[in-house]
Amino acid sequence: MRDRGLESVKVTTSQSGDAVIAAVSGRVDSVNATSFEQELSKAIEGGSSRLVVDCGELSYISSAGLRILLLAVKKTRAQGGGVALCQVQDHVREVLEVSGFTRIMTVRDTVEQAIESF
Amino acid sequence: MDVTLGIDLGMDRHEPRRVVEVFERFATANGVSDLVVQRFCLALDEILTNVISYGFEKVPKEPRIRVDFGLGNGVLEVRIRDNGRSFNPLVDAPLPDLTLPVDERPIGGLGIHLAKNLVHDISYRREQKRNCLTITQPL
Repeated sequence: MRDRGLESVKVTTSQSGDAVIAAVSGRVDSVNATSFEQELSKAIEGGSSRLVVDCGELSYISSAGLRILLLAVKKTRAQGGGVALCQVQDHVREVLEVSGFTRIMTVRDTVEQAIESF
Repeated sequence: MDVTLGIDLGMDRHEPRRVVEVFERFATANGVSDLVVQRFCLALDEILTNVISYGFEKVPKEPRIRVDFGLGNGVLEVRIRDNGRSFNPLVDAPLPDLTLPVDERPIGGLGIHLAKNLVHDISYRREQKRNCLTITQPL
């Protein structure tokens, strides 16, 4: 297994119609959750309240990262939009399930399906 | 235990990540499956972050936090000990209500819940004024 300890989180955003897609890579823990929050906030403040979080390259998320996702859901819903996650790796999916987030967040297999979910 | 490794931690918020990194190398080198490694990493991260963030609030003594890993007889064991305030995560941490609709879900409060629910067996005891949490997993 590769050494992931020093990896930081990286968020790359792009636009697709009404939705903004935030592709997250690396790991999100209590050390870099603030930076993750800033990146997601920037994505939302760009004008769209429909946020797709592409988790294809997200290898790890702790409760510190879940806080940020929940904040993003609340913020976007307040603006009439929402958050859809996609390409979630097995371990991250397990974390979402155990925390009850799969009940309150849309999770789809692909970016296209996530965009269509709005 | 056939193989053991111990780490003493400081109070820096980066410390859980350092421990997770060492654990990951230790467990992987000793053939622990990726799934178990991932679950233990998260449990360690959450518990240690909690200890460093809250365990020594209003505790007027020098913090001592130590993590020991052990592997042997088909069992993986992780022991976390600290001399902070008495805290049994199995009973003292409030249970989150996972059935609440999104607008009513509070932000936070999931760390200990995740740790408890991702590992096979977790036990707590208070001994010699220290919290001692042991996580075990048959391999």
